[in-house]
Amino acid sequence: MASAAILHPKRRPPPFRTVGRSVLLTLPIALWALLMFTPTLRSPGLNHHIGAAAAVLFMTLLFFLMMRTGKTFRWRRYFFVALGFLFPVGFIASLIHLRGSMSISLEHMLGGDTPFCHMVIPMILIPAALTRTVIFPGSILPTATNPHSVAVMIGLWLALTLVLGKAWCSYACFFGGIEEGFAALPKHIRIRKIDPRLRLVPWALLIAVAVLSAALFEPVYCMWLCPFKAVTEFPAVTGVKTAIQMGIFVALFVGLVVVLPFLTKKRTQCGFFCPFGAFQSLFNKINLFEIRFDRTKCVDCTLCQTACPTMALSAESIREGKTLLNCMKCGACVDSCKKHAAVWHLKGTPVAVKPERARLLFLYGAWALATMLGGSIIANSLATILGFLPIR
Amino acid sequence: MVVTVRSSATGVASAAVAVPFISTNTAEALMLGLATGPVCIASCGPVVLPWMLVQPQGVRVHARQMTLFLGARLVGYLLFASLIWMAGAAIARTWGEQTWMVGAVQVLLAGGLLIYAAGWPHAHCAMAQSEPPGLVQIGAAPAEPPRPRPTGAVALGFLTGINLCPPFLVAGVRVAQLPSLANALAFFALFFLGTAVWFMPLLSLSVVRRTPSFLTVARMAAVLLACWYGFSGASLLIEKAIYG
Amino acid sequence: MHKRLLAVLAYVGAALSLIVAACTPFVLMGAFSEAVARTGVHVDAVYSGGTIARTVMRDGYQIDVYRPVQPHALQNVDPFVQIAFRPAASLPRRFNTELDLDGDGRPDVRVSLVMPRNPRARPSGEVVALSEAYRSFRMPESEVGFSELIAQSNGAVLVRIPVNQPSAGR
Repeated sequence: MASAAILHPKRRPPPFRTVGRSVLLTLPIALWALLMFTPTLRSPGLNHHIGAAAAVLFMTLLFFLMMRTGKTFRWRRYFFVALGFLFPVGFIASLIHLRGSMSISLEHMLGGDTPFCHMVIPMILIPAALTRTVIFPGSILPTATNPHSVAVMIGLWLALTLVLGKAWCSYACFFGGIEEGFAALPKHIRIRKIDPRLRLVPWALLIAVAVLSAALFEPVYCMWLCPFKAVTEFPAVTGVKTAIQMGIFVALFVGLVVVLPFLTKKRTQCGFFCPFGAFQSLFNKINLFEIRFDRTKCVDCTLCQTACPTMALSAESIREGKTLLNCMKCGACVDSCKKHAAVWHLKGTPVAVKPERARLLFLYGAWALATMLGGSIIANSLATILGFLPIR
Repeated sequence: MVVTVRSSATGVASAAVAVPFISTNTAEALMLGLATGPVCIASCGPVVLPWMLVQPQGVRVHARQMTLFLGARLVGYLLFASLIWMAGAAIARTWGEQTWMVGAVQVLLAGGLLIYAAGWPHAHCAMAQSEPPGLVQIGAAPAEPPRPRPTGAVALGFLTGINLCPPFLVAGVRVAQLPSLANALAFFALFFLGTAVWFMPLLSLSVVRRTPSFLTVARMAAVLLACWYGFSGASLLIEKAIYG
Repeated sequence: MHKRLLAVLAYVGAALSLIVAACTPFVLMGAFSEAVARTGVHVDAVYSGGTIARTVMRDGYQIDVYRPVQPHALQNVDPFVQIAFRPAASLPRRFNTELDLDGDGRPDVRVSLVMPRNPRARPSGEVVALSEAYRSFRMPESEVGFSELIAQSNGAVLVRIPVNQPSAGR
């Protein structure tokens, strides 16, 4: 991250807000977090209490720091990376508890026990619209063995998409944090030159998987291409076909989620592969919040382009004062801009007039939903980890 | 109209008698085509969609390409109908189980899509000459919509025409029971007509603006779908070679 | 004036999106999920087995006979009929039964099952078709697939019997 503070470590910038004002602005989120975790805090189980309390404190503290420093990306990243690395822990633990294995067998598919994930949504839409059939071995309503039902996930997706648009990929996706974590590890970028055409791959993949899934009546991406199957669940390896599938999952995970983010400091899977991300980009058109560039302040230093984790900025788009369609509103460009030319913006209002108001309006919605979804995942995963520790 | 008639008992084409060309089968064939059209679209969609997307913008260009595609598909249909009528219903049943045939057609379709993805059918058109591969158009846009070569549309149309999708095989079984070759051909032509109606909405893609990025995405999608067809076809051929 | 109106609308929209965010956790599991279910959206019958046609009561357990499932034309799955014996825990260790699948009063298949001691393991058994409309198979000798299986799921033993197709197909 190329923020002013990092480029000039000796010159510490003054805080963006006073502690008092920051606390006041954080209060609604603190109350929301308490409200979200009250049922967990009331239910028995010390591990769950600790997990929930930690999640409340974590989410509240990060929001306070966002308010205090005026930085978004920097603090959001802690949440997002924690979510990315803790989600598989909790998920795998629950799978092993319920099934005894990470692999999904035919029996679990027949029982509708496969948790529904947002990645499937672009693939189920055409068959669901034409035949009212969901081509996924899950359940429509939540059950005791599968709380992540189709209806719940569709509802979450709809709500988050209305509020966040493509910012789903920065505040809600429980996979993106893994590669963001690996991208944050190295100090220097090792591969700088990336063909800009690569950011079109997710669109091509979206067309291909949507058409093939509708034709074959099966979720093609989940069966063949999802890198995150390697760290969540996968079809039990019973023959050559399932072995090839598993090989593809592992290769894509290692390549796109671990190695390439480390070398490029970009979210390569999100930016250059994920068809759900491309699908979600379409909703940036209807979402009210965006990042804009104040051309009177911009000096074309390209710091924002370097900071952008998904190459959602081009020289032309910056000249036009906009981001590309695939901007996920992570705030990296705003944080990195030394001239304050990159600003948060509420569509319909004048650009760069009240950017902090736009940021606050966006962040309240985004952080509330991040606390509800990501915060609860973090709390559950922490409780699971505590359950494994030999302490009482 | 005088046509050769096959004896229902022996299955041998033997006599020349007069039969009415249009019969009650007409409505059946048309209805079968209309009813199974969505399955045809689902079956051929992975080929047709990227192929349409890589075409240059313009209703006339697309209409011409679609006509060629459907014409070649009709030829494939009629060829299949003739073969079934001459060989009997058994071939329609066994053909569906001929994995080598399905595999070979899928590999050929993969090749066709890859050729489109590489931009070969437009290699000599105005747009291709004015732009480097896939990205930026240099100079003014051509005044006339470029005319892609007809070979690609014909090849893909014919291959999808002999691609053994379930509605195609159902129609094949029905054709084998018809008394004359003319009836069989008419049945398949009308079945084709019923299915072809479902392809018409795809012409709306012709009005979508072709930006350089759009064309690149379309070509990438064609490559990805070619990979799938290639993988699926090769798997079938390998399976056939190993297990017989 | 036009710009001002736009700005007002933008702030109203932003406020509405905050309301959506605040309401989400309270309507998601209840009202919203039920609304989705009411639309008639269902999981593909290849996975769920479809809908129950009738239930046969036996001594200590019941047998649900499902409606035949005709997969989507391009799905690589044969048509099948699912039957479910539940609860699995009440089933005898070994048993066989004749079942009428199409409701014509005559038995169509004879199902013989051997229940494993491990409740998570697959039962073995045999389905013998008594009617030409169905296909016989034996587990574990046959290859398990969506249209031909004997398995335990959610406290029931599921048996899927492939239906012979009247016309050609893949």
